[in-house]
Amino acid sequence: MVKVDKLVKNYDDFRLDISMEIPDGTVTGIVGKNGAGKSTTIKAILGLIKPDEGHVTINGKEASLLTGKEKESIGAALSDSGFSSYLRVEDVICILRKMYPTFDEDFFRKNCVLQGLTFDKRIKDFSTGMRAKLRVLAAVSHKSELLIMDEPTAGLDVEARNDILDMFRQYLLDNEKRSILLSSHISSVLEGLCDDIYLIHDGKIILHEDTDTILSNYAVLKINDEAYEKLDKSYILSAKREHFGYSCFTSEKQFYAENYPGIVIEKGNIDDLILMMTGGR
Amino acid sequence: MLGLIEKDLRLTFARKQTLLIFFVMALIMGISMDVSFIVGYLTMLAAVISIGTISYDEYDNGFAFLMTLPFDRKTYVREKYLFCLIMSAAAWCIGAVLYFIGSTVRHGGVNLIEELPMLIAFIPVMYLSSAIMIPMQLKYGSEKSRIVLFILFGCIAVLIFAAKDFFSGIETPITELIRTIVNLSPVVVLLAIIAVCALASGVSYMLSIRIMKKKEF
Repeated sequence: MVKVDKLVKNYDDFRLDISMEIPDGTVTGIVGKNGAGKSTTIKAILGLIKPDEGHVTINGKEASLLTGKEKESIGAALSDSGFSSYLRVEDVICILRKMYPTFDEDFFRKNCVLQGLTFDKRIKDFSTGMRAKLRVLAAVSHKSELLIMDEPTAGLDVEARNDILDMFRQYLLDNEKRSILLSSHISSVLEGLCDDIYLIHDGKIILHEDTDTILSNYAVLKINDEAYEKLDKSYILSAKREHFGYSCFTSEKQFYAENYPGIVIEKGNIDDLILMMTGGR
Repeated sequence: MLGLIEKDLRLTFARKQTLLIFFVMALIMGISMDVSFIVGYLTMLAAVISIGTISYDEYDNGFAFLMTLPFDRKTYVREKYLFCLIMSAAAWCIGAVLYFIGSTVRHGGVNLIEELPMLIAFIPVMYLSSAIMIPMQLKYGSEKSRIVLFILFGCIAVLIFAAKDFFSGIETPITELIRTIVNLSPVVVLLAIIAVCALASGVSYMLSIRIMKKKEF
């Protein structure tokens, strides 16, 4: 459905150079440190910036050339941008009703009540969590086929985050062909939702893997200097100096478990993936 | 397009109190000054308020989200020109009603044939100011565009005064042209004003589309 083909975007001191694919019916996550290029990638997919080289296509059409009708099938939420804060939820409902023929007003109103979003209050008087919920709710309430979310849960407490994840799950349950592309820093969001993960660092994709594979095969080995010297490093993706010796990140947990019985192996997660793949040596 | 107009209307009427103050000011000035002032003032005010919706779109990085909604960049520009026209025309209608009421009370009636062309001329002239401001606001943003506008109008004022001093007492083709225009019937002058403003607005529209298509969010 979404294809990013050799996309290049140059800024003064930053170059994004990536390729990726989001097939129909999948949930894809983009992870990486601040300034890695996640938001730039999402903006390019949404047609908000023009690539210097390469192409971004949605259902075979260049993202920046999508017509209004074609954009109706996309729901988007950005971390730092939304409806004008001078509007009220009631205003947003009227605008969405006119923008999207498929806007499900009953669903939107029902969920506003559930999430505690007051209809007559201006958005500027909402908390960060309420604004985030409103952004996601607006994106999921017009039966779109694709959701593109940039840090949808940034700055939210656990409860608000779970509410948003529930909205995503409900969105996916309603139609199995729906896809989501989201960037996030929060591992629980990505682990509980994404089918595959792209890790971006310094404008490049340094890893693309299924979430299940990361959770089952990836691990952090904790070893002293002596053990590190003797270790077969064929499957070590990155190593980081620690006070006790080394933390080594591997994609073959089983290999080390079988061949080095005494070694300390900690189950890998997405936080480890980011830390070890972008901060280690 | 309808969604965008709805958004701009709602953003405009989110400032009900400010609008009311402007309206009361217009009424007071209309009563104390020449009644025709109210028509021009309200039309100009509507044009300025309409363009203010671009600032609202721009505020808090709102443009990025706005451009993910189901319309293209050309539609956004088209809506801004249409919205300005609708608002200016609506404000003109209110102003015109107040003008007729005021003139009837003060002078016992209005000479429609003489005064209507002059009143109608407010719409294209005020709309022209929107047509100048829209591309500037899209290109430079609300803050910088104000500075650019001051510089632009300053330059125009200097040029006019310089030309006035330079040509005073000299017969030029321009003075001849002005004399011809003054002698034309009001309807012909009105049509000429509409034509010039429509042409300038067309150029401004094309320019705005170019600016918007190049813009990144």
